[in-house]
Amino acid sequence: MSNFDTILLECDNISKQYGFFFALNKISFHLDENSILGVIGANGAGKTTLIRILSGLMSPTSGTIVIKGRNYKTDAKHIKQIIGTITDRSFLYEELTIYENLKFYSKLYSIYNKNEFKEKIERYAKKFNLSDWIFEPISNLSTGMKQKVEIIRSLIHNPSILLLDEPFSGLDFTTIKLLIKILTELREKENLTLIIATHKIEVVQEISDTILILKNGKISKFAPKNEIDRSKIESYF
Amino acid sequence: MKNKKKTAKSGLKLFMTILQKDIKSEIRQVNDIFSIILFGVISIFIFSSAYNTINLGGMMPIEIFIIQIWLIIFFTLIFIMIKLFVQENEKGTLDGLTTSPVSNAIILTSKVVFCFILLSLIEFVLLLFSFFISVPSVQALNINEFLFYIMIGIVLPTLDISICGTLVSALSMYSKNKSFVLPLLLFPIILPITSPIISLNIKLLEGELISMVVIEILFLVAHAILMFSILILVSEELLSE
Repeated sequence: MSNFDTILLECDNISKQYGFFFALNKISFHLDENSILGVIGANGAGKTTLIRILSGLMSPTSGTIVIKGRNYKTDAKHIKQIIGTITDRSFLYEELTIYENLKFYSKLYSIYNKNEFKEKIERYAKKFNLSDWIFEPISNLSTGMKQKVEIIRSLIHNPSILLLDEPFSGLDFTTIKLLIKILTELREKENLTLIIATHKIEVVQEISDTILILKNGKISKFAPKNEIDRSKIESYF
Repeated sequence: MKNKKKTAKSGLKLFMTILQKDIKSEIRQVNDIFSIILFGVISIFIFSSAYNTINLGGMMPIEIFIIQIWLIIFFTLIFIMIKLFVQENEKGTLDGLTTSPVSNAIILTSKVVFCFILLSLIEFVLLLFSFFISVPSVQALNINEFLFYIMIGIVLPTLDISICGTLVSALSMYSKNKSFVLPLLLFPIILPITSPIISLNIKLLEGELISMVVIEILFLVAHAILMFSILILVSEELLSE
């Protein structure tokens, strides 16, 4: 059971409305520090809307989000400083090199220090097998490599929460396996909390602690992984 | 006081970071700028050829020369507006900016300056070409008059239309029919300044005194301040979906 002190994120009655259509309808849940939440659901269930709201790309129509005790409405700048986001669209500038992209984002988060940055980049490049590509433009990289750079980009400011929206789309099985390994390691070593929205049920079941199933913008099931029967999971969709 | 100074300094740093990134990206895809310049030069050539066919190679009156130049600059602005927010939104990189802890006002201000730099560069090339191709009947200006013309006749209107272009580009980026909405929104915003810009340019190139162009200058400054204020006031709404 969650301890009040360990709660990192709390969503209370979050709704997103477009005219008469509710993309999200009174979603409430909380998340502990250093945990992995898997968000699954059919197409149009509201997974992407939830990630976009949590990342600050979209404002909810109603409801409150509190992260590390700060309210998103009043403290968005501070909250954005501790969130890293990866969506299905790339945040990387194709014409700039990996190094230039990462330097740009570290400056945006006001954490750029020449020596520390160099050291950090070398460490990440080694970890992600990108050392030979660091001065190559993004346009020269493969899809898998770009996704690795996206992960480095989202971690460059040492966030507490990493939001991932369909991070495995368009990737082959080997790359997905590698990314899962990297994400699990990150959670352990960097004390990260991960929220992963995907339609890949098997991936969510492999790495998540808690699963949130969305159906037509509402929570269909929210429970620890071991409390959800694997064979019945699709009946919640 | 100290805190305010610190905030302003960090804001300026972020502004410079975004601007430098935009300039660097633009240099790497220099073909886009070449195509815009080529469009301008071809337009000048067609305009001048058409004029010379009727007037058998005589010098182009200053009024026609100014109208020709600014008409092409307004069209060029539409190309640059697409680069400002529409392309960045379509590529997804705008999400990278809006998820970072940078205020929307800083993002928009850096785009205004980026638009101003691009437009100034294009104007420089276009003016250079048009003086040779169109051969306008401009009277000789001394260095002070020339600098005054550049600052008031070119820089001020360019800054004003850069602000308008950024505002319209941000307003239209989420609409489904961007190519239709973009010029449609731009038209009423720049319509009030077209006459003052043309009249200001003609008067300055004819060597008239500053006192004769005060109204035009005041109108352009007021328009620029008004548009920039709107841009900053609605900045939070402009960049959120």
